[in-house]
Amino acid sequence: MSALGGAAAGGEGLNMTGTIVGIVIILVSLGATYMLGASLIVPLIGIIVGGALIGFGVHFVPVGGAPAAMGQAPGIATGVAMLAAGAGLAGLFGGAWAFEATGDFLISILGGAIGGGLMMAITCLMVNATYVFAMGIPAASGKVARDPITGDSFPEYKSQGTEGHGLPFISFVGGVIGGTIAGLGGTLIYIELLEAYQTGLATLMQAEPEVIAPLAVSLAGIFAIGFFLVNAVLAAYNITGTIEGPHDPKFKRVPRAVIGCAVASAFCGLISLLLVMNIGM
Amino acid sequence: MTVKMEASAGKLSHNTLMTYGVIIAVVGTYLTYLNVITGMAVFSFFGGIAAVAALWWGSDTIKHLCSYGLGTGVPSAGMIAFGSGAIAMIVGTKFGIASPIATLIIAAILGAVIGYTANNIINMNIPVMVMSLMELAVVGAMTMLGFATMCTGSFNFSEMVIGSMSLSVESAGVAAGGAQQFLVTAVPEYGNSLIGGAALAVIFFLGALALQHPFNACLGPNESQDRTLMLALSCGFLSMIVVAIISLVFVGFFAGTISIIISLIAWFYCYKSYIELSKRDAYAWLDSKPIIEVGGDQ
Repeated sequence: MSALGGAAAGGEGLNMTGTIVGIVIILVSLGATYMLGASLIVPLIGIIVGGALIGFGVHFVPVGGAPAAMGQAPGIATGVAMLAAGAGLAGLFGGAWAFEATGDFLISILGGAIGGGLMMAITCLMVNATYVFAMGIPAASGKVARDPITGDSFPEYKSQGTEGHGLPFISFVGGVIGGTIAGLGGTLIYIELLEAYQTGLATLMQAEPEVIAPLAVSLAGIFAIGFFLVNAVLAAYNITGTIEGPHDPKFKRVPRAVIGCAVASAFCGLISLLLVMNIGM
Repeated sequence: MTVKMEASAGKLSHNTLMTYGVIIAVVGTYLTYLNVITGMAVFSFFGGIAAVAALWWGSDTIKHLCSYGLGTGVPSAGMIAFGSGAIAMIVGTKFGIASPIATLIIAAILGAVIGYTANNIINMNIPVMVMSLMELAVVGAMTMLGFATMCTGSFNFSEMVIGSMSLSVESAGVAAGGAQQFLVTAVPEYGNSLIGGAALAVIFFLGALALQHPFNACLGPNESQDRTLMLALSCGFLSMIVVAIISLVFVGFFAGTISIIISLIAWFYCYKSYIELSKRDAYAWLDSKPIIEVGGDQ
């Protein structure tokens, strides 16, 4: 729902013209990066994959918005952008810390994934505790009759006039999966940017890599937050309001968000890598 | 979605607002160059004025965008504005004296691509989407550039990443006559700078909060443009106070204090005006009073 009561935009299905233009933008960004600095092509691919993962992951997170706060829709009672930012930043901190401690790529992105998933697991648990013990409402989905995992039946528990309420088990699982994927994507972007900046800034400013490290970490961190917010909001625009999790019919829209986030990440990545490219500044 | 709901018929047209916003933001950022010309840092506060002008224009853009059914609430627009603006701003500062203009152009291109993505790939089909996200990216970038300039007194990348210089002394062997020679080089410290110390992340969220709040707080059936814009100014100056306090570290006590005083006075004036406008628009206003003590035999 819009804040002012306008109808929600966005139908189902892909817009072919837009998608083709989007793929051209990705190819142009890759080409421009290759022309300006061939070694930066790997970080850019990492950024594109990370962005697409964020767009994909956000769709798993059960977002209820304001109706959920009033017990009239299932999900966590806040907006998509806030939840995604929360899960993504928690993942980013986890991944960044793991990279600082080990320097191992795989452990770091897994650390980020666990950080994001853990944050969502805690959020979902506490949200359900609040729903059940403070608001006194049972968990019931309005979109499906039975929980796809546990097989629990919902219609008997659903109050009249609502779209369901609480946080069913499938939404909980969706939230954890979403947080894991989004955290993984965010950390992937951070580490790719960090490696590009650590080597790039050291040559650009003629400094030792260990002297430049705090700068590279801050820059990569701020850029990663920027990327994360852009991708999360694009995914939020795709969802238009609330989603219950992977069993929601809106989940079918996910290809659009994956392509959209990949396009936006490709172009943002090109701009952010301009900082260390040899363009005569 | 083609039906448009106008939130309020404003006195100022959006294009007028945008023109003022862009001009004040760019000119204000350039006025901080007086720091370099005069060799002082007292003109840093112009950066804050530039940022507030951009926020003022941005809240009207948010109003235009969010009067269509976005489906995800007003704050997301502020988040995407600063997400794309941060990327454009950091890269834009590399262009030396042309930085403010370069930031504006990079942000506009970035915003147009994100707007196209949202409108045509994600299928939002909102007529003002591309233009609005373009404007919002410029607003985010110019706000961050303005506040960052206010903090460091300069819009150059090198000033924002180098905090201080430390001297490194190395033995350079023994010269003729037995005197010990030392090689002294100035090594830049990056960890205590605006970007290296990640103070830019604080600016990021201070700006985002100031951008997303005004329309979110004022929207509704009797939203009026002057009240929303006054709240935008008030939020902008409130963020400017915090940025002024951060700037004490980078531009020194005197220049920082001037920034704090200017932002405090401006915030106080705007907040007072906002309360008056709220009273004007409200149906009734009850000033709360302390509970009257009833004594004696009553």
